[in-house]
Parts: sequence; C-alpha cells; structure tokens
Amino acid sequence: MTEPLISLSHVGKLFGDGQVRALQDVSFELRPGEFLSLVGPSGCGKTTLLRIINGLITPEEGSVTVMGRKPEPGPDLAMVFQSARLLPWRTVSGNIEFALALRGHDKAERRQRALALLGAVGLRDFADAFPHQLSGGMQQRVGLARALAVEPKVLLMDEPFAALDAMTREVLRRELLQMWARRRMAIVFVTHDIDEAVYLSQRIVLLRPRPGRIDEVVDVDLPEPRWQHDPRATPAFAGLRNHLWDRIHAMARDGEALEELAAAFPMEVIEKPSR
Amino acid sequence: MSEETVRPAPGTVSAAQLEARGHKRRQRETTLVLGAQILIGLMLLSGMYLLNATAGKLFMPRPDDVLAQSIKLWSDGTMLKALGESLTVLVLGYIISAVTGIGLGIFLGGFRFAGRVFDPFVNALNSTPGAAFIPLIVVWFGLYTEAKVVLVWNAAFFPILINTAAGIANANRELVEMGRAFGANRRVLFRDIMLPDALPSILSGLRIGAAIATVGTVIAELTMAQSGLGGLLAQAGNRFQMDKYFAVVIVLMILGTAITATLRYAERRIGRWRATT
Repeated sequence: MTEPLISLSHVGKLFGDGQVRALQDVSFELRPGEFLSLVGPSGCGKTTLLRIINGLITPEEGSVTVMGRKPEPGPDLAMVFQSARLLPWRTVSGNIEFALALRGHDKAERRQRALALLGAVGLRDFADAFPHQLSGGMQQRVGLARALAVEPKVLLMDEPFAALDAMTREVLRRELLQMWARRRMAIVFVTHDIDEAVYLSQRIVLLRPRPGRIDEVVDVDLPEPRWQHDPRATPAFAGLRNHLWDRIHAMARDGEALEELAAAFPMEVIEKPSR
Repeated sequence: MSEETVRPAPGTVSAAQLEARGHKRRQRETTLVLGAQILIGLMLLSGMYLLNATAGKLFMPRPDDVLAQSIKLWSDGTMLKALGESLTVLVLGYIISAVTGIGLGIFLGGFRFAGRVFDPFVNALNSTPGAAFIPLIVVWFGLYTEAKVVLVWNAAFFPILINTAAGIANANRELVEMGRAFGANRRVLFRDIMLPDALPSILSGLRIGAAIATVGTVIAELTMAQSGLGGLLAQAGNRFQMDKYFAVVIVLMILGTAITATLRYAERRIGRWRATT
C-alpha cells in the first residue's frame, strides 16, 4: 500500500473565538491518483476542509499532513474555485503565467507552457483575450488550466461547476475526467451535487452539518473510464445515489429533531456555523 | 448576376444592412449633439453682446474685445509668462501630492492597523476647508512659490490619499485568496494583485486631485503674492478691465478641461481590461 498523499486525523475547526464549531473529528486519507469527493449539505464544512488541506487556515484540533509535511499554500496543491477568480487585468495566458511564475519558471518557458495548457482546454485562440471577453464556462476552463499548469500532485476543486449552466457543466465534467485519466493527479472535489459526485469520483466522503463531521465514506465501484461507459443509467449508479440520498434525508430528520430540541430548551443556543 | 439572386428572404436583414443603419443613426445623433452645442455657444455669445449693450462694458465685456485682449496678452508674452508661473506651482504641487498621497495611501490601506490609527486624523484634515490653512501656510512658508506649492499640495493630497487607501484596503478578497492558494508571498500579493486591483481607484483619486490642484493654484495666486494666471485675474478684476479678465478666465477654462481630459484618457487606457469598453 502506497503512502497517502494527504491524511487528516481527528481534525476539528472552530470559528468566532471558539463559539462556532465548523468541523469535528474528521479523519480520512487521500491516496495518490485518487478522485475523492467531499459531499454534504451546506454548512457541513466542505470548503473549510479544502482550505485546511491547502494550508490557508489551520485547524485547532487534530493533525493534517500533506505529503508528509504540514500543509502550506504552494504549487504541490492547486485550487480551482467556484468562480474562476482570474486576474481581470491580465490576459488569459497572463493568468496562467502568473501561477507558473510562482513556481519559478522563467519567462519564455511560462508563455510556452501557458499556450500548451490553453491548447489542452481548447482555448488556444483566446490566449491574448481578457477574461471579461470569455463566457463563464471558458473562464472556468482557464481556471482549470491555471491549476493544471503548476502540475500539482493534488488538485483541490471547490464546487467548480456549480455556477455554470447544465450543458457547460456536463462538457466540463467529461473534460475533467479525461484530464485526470491522462495526468493521474489526485483530486479532492467538493460538491453538493450527489449525481456529480457519484459520476466523477472513486470515493465519496459524505459529511453532515452542525458541526461538520463525517457521516459515511462510500466507495464508488463503477467501471472506468466513465466518459466512455457512462454509468448514470446503470442500476449500480442508482443504488449508490439512492443510498446517499437516504443518508441525507436522515440528516434532515436529525436536523428537525435538533430544532425541536432548541425550541423546547430556549436557553440552549444552537448556532449555525458560518463559512 | 441578376438582382433576384442576392436579395435575402423577405423579412430578413443582412448584417451589412444592420451595420449601415446603426452607423447612420449614430452619425445623425452626433450631428444633432454638435448642432445643439453650437447653438448654445452662439446663444451665450449673443447674450454677452446683449448684456454689454444694455448694462455697459463694466458689467459684461463685448466678446470681440475679449478676443482682441486675448491676442494682445498672448502676443506681448504676458499670458505665456503667467501660464508658466501657474503651471510651475500646479505641476510641482500636484507631483508632490501624487507621490506622498499614493505612498501614504498604500501604507494606510495595506496595513489595517495603521489605517485604523490614522483614520480620524485623515478625516478631520480632509473635512477642513483648504482655505482655512492659508494663514498658517503663509506664516510657515511665506508668500511666494514655496507657499503656493504647499497650498496646492494640501488641496490635492487628501483625495489621492483617501482613494489610494480605499482601493488597496478593498482589494478583491477572492483574488487575494487565489494568490495565497497558489503560494504567493505578501510582496507578490501586493504587487500583482492588490495594487493592480486598486489602480482604477488610485487613478480617480489622481483625477479629482488634479481638478482641486487647479483650483488651489488660482486661490494661492489670488491670496498670496499675486502671480501667474490668478494674479492676472486679480489685476484685471481690481481695475475693472473685464475684457482682460475674461481673456484669463478662458485660458483657465481650457487648462482645467485639458488636465481632466488627459487624466480621463489615461484612466481609460490603463483600465482597458475592464468590461466597460
């Protein structure tokens, strides 16, 4: 068994001077080349987990190691956000070169690699356009190209397709799978879309909210490559998705019970964690 | 080829036709705007003649007298010398306020602690009318060029400072987090994300500052040792030479417009990546 790329053990995170608990006792490992999804309703700390892995914030409890070290922002990990977060004053190519410069590539090489990556996401002709001239889907492709440009060991994706229209989303999912099949970096993919998680990933960490903690880890044993054998019409896919939905409905029932409890004991303040 | 084959299906409009229509409409509008502006200009001129005829040349000079005075003042070098003196004060004061305003603005905007500490002082000084400082400036710096430069600096400094600080402090958090996630250190975050993001705000500070600096220059020249265009203005006004007075006002008008237009152009050029192009 190979060493895990990332391992979290008993991670807990508190916000607002310790008044709001965002995460509690979260432990899981990411294996090399694995596609792992973090799924859960809002308020379950998915994005917080991603930011902890990236080293943008530090958890109060438990420990996190990324490739054997304490996590810190850097080019071993690359992030794709829900909005593309491109620098609007730089060209498409310039945005990718920005990430490459942080990795210490020299100038000529940066341009060359940026163009190669834009070719890979089908945007070579837009290298010298500014982000505002691109559609949302194209901008998100640039965001993906920027993340891939630094050749990360792990790609962190925070609901990258959530803001796109259904058709663009479907096209980009397929492209992501192809990109992953070719490069085999590990991916941590945050989403609240169950179907998306089952379609894309090999393993799903289902989280429950208030405070965010692991509900269940589900292996997705569906044939690959999935863009060739679309699993979404198969009984196995339906089984997984129904199972996950059952768990989420159970969470909702617990949530209701919790609210009833809060109403019965008004002294007990049950706070909603803010993200 | 007969005409029949190129005619599009009924009800459709070719791109070229649409383009031609749009062009025609824009042209018509430009003509209309220009015509209205010329009309208003003519009305102002005839209004001047009318006032001159009814109330006398002390009340309103005749436009052709103003023109004659302008030609005289320009040809004997009086206007050029005054313009030179004014521009010296204006440009020196403005450059110093731009450098200090942007510098201190970056400091106050970039370091939240410093920004909070200095906020009430900056607000108090900014809210005080610039003219209130004239006696103090005179006592400290005298009546000549240095004092005038200080007055101009004092006038233009605050809008530049405040806009720079606000631009840096409100730099897009999402972009900053993106930079951090990719491993940018504080220096790179500042240089490559916060500063470019603040540039539009800094430029509008510079534009407002330039307009105020022009006002400050004239005030300095009127109230301190008379010199430059402001001095010429006072001279003509005190002797009730209204034609000369108007000749100077026209130069000031053109100067102010030119400065604002130049900075607007710079703003547009530098901000060309924005969606509003």
